[in-house]
Amino acid sequence: MDIGRQLDLYRDMWTIRAFEQGLEREFEAGNVPGMLHTGLGQEATQAALAAHLEATDCFFPDHRCHGLNALAQQRHGGDGRSIMAELFGRATGVCSGKGGSLHSADPSVGNFGDNAVEGSYMATVLGVALAYKLRRQDRVACAVIGDGTVGRGEFHESLNMAAIWDLPVLYACLNNGYAISLPAAQGLASADIVDLARGYGFPCVQVDGNDIVEATEAVATAFDHIRSGRGPYFIEFITWRWQGVFSGEFRSDEEVKYWKVDHDPILMAAEKLLRLDVPEDRLHAIESAERERIEEWIRFAKDSPEPDLAKATADVYIGWEVAGR
Amino acid sequence: MTAPTEPHPKPGPRKTRKTRKTSMVKALNGALDLAMERFPEMFLIGESIGELGGDFGVTRRLWAKYGADRVRDTPLSEAAIIGTSVGAAMVGMRPVAEIMFADFLGECYDQIVNNAAKLHYMFDGQFSAPLVIRTACGAGFGGGPHHSQSVEGWFMNIPGIVIVAPSNPADAKGLLLAAIESDDPVLFLEHKALYRSRAEVDPGYYTVPLGRAAVAREGTDVTVVGTMRMVPMALEAAAVLAGEGISVEVVDLRTIRPYDAETVVESVNRTGRAVVVNEAPGTGGLGAELSARIHEECFHRLSGPVGRVDALDTPIPFSVPLENAIMPNPAIIADAVRRQMGRS
Repeated sequence: MDIGRQLDLYRDMWTIRAFEQGLEREFEAGNVPGMLHTGLGQEATQAALAAHLEATDCFFPDHRCHGLNALAQQRHGGDGRSIMAELFGRATGVCSGKGGSLHSADPSVGNFGDNAVEGSYMATVLGVALAYKLRRQDRVACAVIGDGTVGRGEFHESLNMAAIWDLPVLYACLNNGYAISLPAAQGLASADIVDLARGYGFPCVQVDGNDIVEATEAVATAFDHIRSGRGPYFIEFITWRWQGVFSGEFRSDEEVKYWKVDHDPILMAAEKLLRLDVPEDRLHAIESAERERIEEWIRFAKDSPEPDLAKATADVYIGWEVAGR
Repeated sequence: MTAPTEPHPKPGPRKTRKTRKTSMVKALNGALDLAMERFPEMFLIGESIGELGGDFGVTRRLWAKYGADRVRDTPLSEAAIIGTSVGAAMVGMRPVAEIMFADFLGECYDQIVNNAAKLHYMFDGQFSAPLVIRTACGAGFGGGPHHSQSVEGWFMNIPGIVIVAPSNPADAKGLLLAAIESDDPVLFLEHKALYRSRAEVDPGYYTVPLGRAAVAREGTDVTVVGTMRMVPMALEAAAVLAGEGISVEVVDLRTIRPYDAETVVESVNRTGRAVVVNEAPGTGGLGAELSARIHEECFHRLSGPVGRVDALDTPIPFSVPLENAIMPNPAIIADAVRRQMGRS
């Protein structure tokens, strides 16, 4: 992979990290309502997916995909600020504040929105893919899921149906090791999820989800496979989430150190770029530019108005109005 | 919910075209056929709906006519059936899914309640879910606890979903076509005990408006409100009561959500007495909702409390005598009306 492309992906990973760290700070300060699940530590997989998804494709982001959602805006002529504003529940958000962190959608950039019932869109993605296939469009319908979702019945229903109908679905499974706090090795019959998926008979690969080059190349291969009409594809990205659970950190110090220092996707990418003689200053400049960009997004979100209260009863039905008080 | 403003349609067969005596199954089949011709973006999806034509024959011959791409057989994967329908609807297709028995809706409840019903709202109008979920519901043939339930109550508390429940073949056809045309997600309840009922049906394309009740029988003393199989039962009771000098008005709700409160309230304000009939258990659900609404809106015109006829508060037993023991019937409805008239 050439250096220019690696630098682009490095920048994208910083967009995600700066977004999530800025958001976390604002959440802790009480400025962001609801709950917060960050994608910290999973930047490489999200950047790899964002680099390949076109606006005419479809992706269902999971609850840690704020960064992917923002990158899709950036790449396809949208406004990354509208993702930040949605998380603040503001009128300028992609869903005018009605969706929030767990339901940010924008079809104009291919973002079909998260469903907070984890894995629910494992079933929904089939319908989008079926429509693409019936219309003979070489588009990709992508479900971004975690290892926890593998415990859902819809995981099986979805892989089975995608296989029997040869649907253009990319399953991007970010195995971050834990379903809430349950280790994948205890919660799943095989801690290697790829082995569970293989039974459905379509290509399934396992890659280092924190190695941006490896992850990006895997996604490229999957997109080529799907766009050429050869049916579904499954990628298990091995990664790790920085965020613990609401009650705090539950993992060992050694484990935390390994993933946050020794195997951090951004540090790994930086080391690779330094070995390719990219000056350290240039990497710092990328980080600073993304942090500045995100601070501007946060200011925009905080300065944006709350939604018009008429929105509370709007769009329940298309054929009927719902009365206010 | 905005109440309908046009007057409710009058009872009786449609007179604009030549009608034919048709069963509800054939009327529904005809509606699907006409819609498949008219809407290229429509497809059917469900378990053994293809060559077999569905467990009750509602999709018979459509697979041969429209092909396997548009009449899609699925594995026993209810969540995937509805998920596929929702996803396809999000990109502009018009899926009509069949869930073989309404009792199985639990398997895809999340897809209906958290996806189909909410996505237009939570995504701020950017997506819609114009899908129809057809399903066979209701008791009356010894189907037992998992093949007999009336599920409208499971869905009544869900804003965003439309629930349609026809009582006769002509309405079934026109309501199904209206449901397919609708841009909102529709749960379309087909009562199994009515599948073989026959009535005059216009063979052409027509719609019956969603959200509008019909007065199935006009009367002046007591209003009986019901849906699906409770309507023919109420009509049977009304015929008996006419012989006793009691004039019963029967309101067929036809759409359960959003329902036509205006027609119900207008009728009860006129008669001053109401009996609400419901095949589901009485706790919560449609009977409770209608009773509460009538008390709220007609209190000063009522001669006494609203009467209620429901199934008993039990699961549905397999044994036919036991099933009959928990279900409403015309005699129970007639008794409830007599009590309204002070003649118990």
